[in-house]
Amino acid sequence: MKYVQYINSLLKEHISNNENIVLYGQNIDAGSCLSGLTRGLSSCNGGLTINTPNSENSLVGVGFGLMLNDVSSVFFMKQMDFLLLGIDQLVNTYNVIRQTKPSASFTIFPVTVDSGYEGPQSSLNNFDDFCSIAGIEGYSFTNKVDAANIISNHLTKPGFRILSTGQRLLQKEVLDLESMYQDENCNYFQYKKGNDVTIVCFNNSLPYGLELYNLMRESSIASSLFSVNSHLHVNYSRILDDIKNSKKLILIDDTKSRNRLSDRFLADVLNACTLKNKIIISRTTTNESFYPCKDELDIDYNKIINDITS
Amino acid sequence: MEKNKKNIIRKIIWLRLAQVLVNQRYKNGDFLVPIHLAMGHESIAVAVDAAMHEQDSLFLTHRNIHYNLAKMGTLKEELDEYYLRGSGLANGRLGSMNLSNPDKNIYYSSSILGNNLPVGCGYALANKMKNKNGVVFITTGDGAIEEGSFYESLLFLKSNNLPSVVLVENNEWSLATRIKERRANIDFSQLAGALDIEYLLLQGNDPFEYQEKINLVRSKALDNNSPILIEVKLTTLGYWFMESEGYPDGKFINYHGGPAPEVDEKEYPQLVSSNEDPLFLLNKYLSVDELTDISNEMSVQLKEDIS
Repeated sequence: MKYVQYINSLLKEHISNNENIVLYGQNIDAGSCLSGLTRGLSSCNGGLTINTPNSENSLVGVGFGLMLNDVSSVFFMKQMDFLLLGIDQLVNTYNVIRQTKPSASFTIFPVTVDSGYEGPQSSLNNFDDFCSIAGIEGYSFTNKVDAANIISNHLTKPGFRILSTGQRLLQKEVLDLESMYQDENCNYFQYKKGNDVTIVCFNNSLPYGLELYNLMRESSIASSLFSVNSHLHVNYSRILDDIKNSKKLILIDDTKSRNRLSDRFLADVLNACTLKNKIIISRTTTNESFYPCKDELDIDYNKIINDITS
Repeated sequence: MEKNKKNIIRKIIWLRLAQVLVNQRYKNGDFLVPIHLAMGHESIAVAVDAAMHEQDSLFLTHRNIHYNLAKMGTLKEELDEYYLRGSGLANGRLGSMNLSNPDKNIYYSSSILGNNLPVGCGYALANKMKNKNGVVFITTGDGAIEEGSFYESLLFLKSNNLPSVVLVENNEWSLATRIKERRANIDFSQLAGALDIEYLLLQGNDPFEYQEKINLVRSKALDNNSPILIEVKLTTLGYWFMESEGYPDGKFINYHGGPAPEVDEKEYPQLVSSNEDPLFLLNKYLSVDELTDISNEMSVQLKEDIS
């Protein structure tokens, strides 16, 4: 099953159990229904489903207005870069609305555009930026277990947040992992436990971390594997404890943001842990944002394994 | 004169007196928050207040003092909010430009041009979801309508059949720039017509005419499940003429925000002798002595309110 089909099934299940919710966005109930993401949601929605005009700024404000009047909503968006048009509402309106502690829920559900080839105006793998701009709760997901938990816990929870996953992942087979730990807010998940190395993945980089984990296991290196889903700074105590034990960190972050959450995490690590070795895998330059090119990180896994064990 | 009409007149005079009092304290340097007074906007604010029903709601801009005061009917809580006191209308958390009052159906005010329109749209959509029979009133200005959210919001309200009134306070100015100095003219009737939205022009500051017309508009919005666009032409008073070398007769300085330096407390707080001042227009209905008596009575009431 493709990841997009799996997310669609989760959305259907959750929305079926919620009455009087407004689902809206461009093409959510027409054409390809955002490449299948929102297909069939209208038929299981007891509330209102609206194919909207192309008015992103206003549509973000509409969600806050619904919230003020105690009606929950989800605004689906084909590409996260469209959300740039709604920044006024994300910052200025939310700063007022959050003071009212609303009982309704408002979720914006954009797809992070991380194929890279859309070019300079339509390639925005920068979820961290949206969350940091007004302290907005944001959660990304990459696999079966985190998607199920995040959608179940956050899609219609009172308050406002952004949920997103990567465009590349959506078209791939669903990544089926078992988690051994998640904190109550789904801020991060632990998938593997090992004493030699701690691998921590940010944004949509869990598939890289999993590949590395498997290759290290073949080399008899036991590693712990975490993925951080929250795009706001949280308490990382369980991850820090694991790093204190292994003393070796591999941090992977595939965002193009210049305002990386993983940098704050790294500061926490350096403050709390004594490290024997660390390797940071992220973009050294973000100039790729300015022209069409692949978004994937180029990782020399063998070199990483050699370096972390040397 | 009917009691209701006299109450409208009393409220207009009270609203002016309250703003003059705020202005006096503003001139004394009392406030840290920026305040945009709305002297000259009293008739429309009082008319909207009178036309709104219990289930209606109001979404305002940074210039919201007149609507907030008209809805509240007292000054103390709003004044305390400007002082950022815990006893303020919003516990000192919103200040002036974002001041709302849910207890009086003012659910949101925004300091950002055009920002309140989409929020009002969402509120109206929620009314529809809940089968709530109210009209959403959203105020904006001739500067804010230049933002894309104005068009987007009209389109959203119309596309979703939402009973609403979008009220453009057209004072001709955006900060220190007149319309003709910054953009092409916008024909509201044609713009509204293009979206199949009814348009109404209000001008002249007659509160009774305004109230009657807004009552009709409100009913139409409800009956037709549609937005209606109102343009109200008015003058934001508090302007002055600054003499300088290049301007021996004085250069016109528009009042936008902050204290109005040449507005002072007086027995009858009329600022100019023309219908651009709602208080001048009241001479049409009552004598100078009657108006002055009301003003004196309202002054005492205000002082008791804030003491």
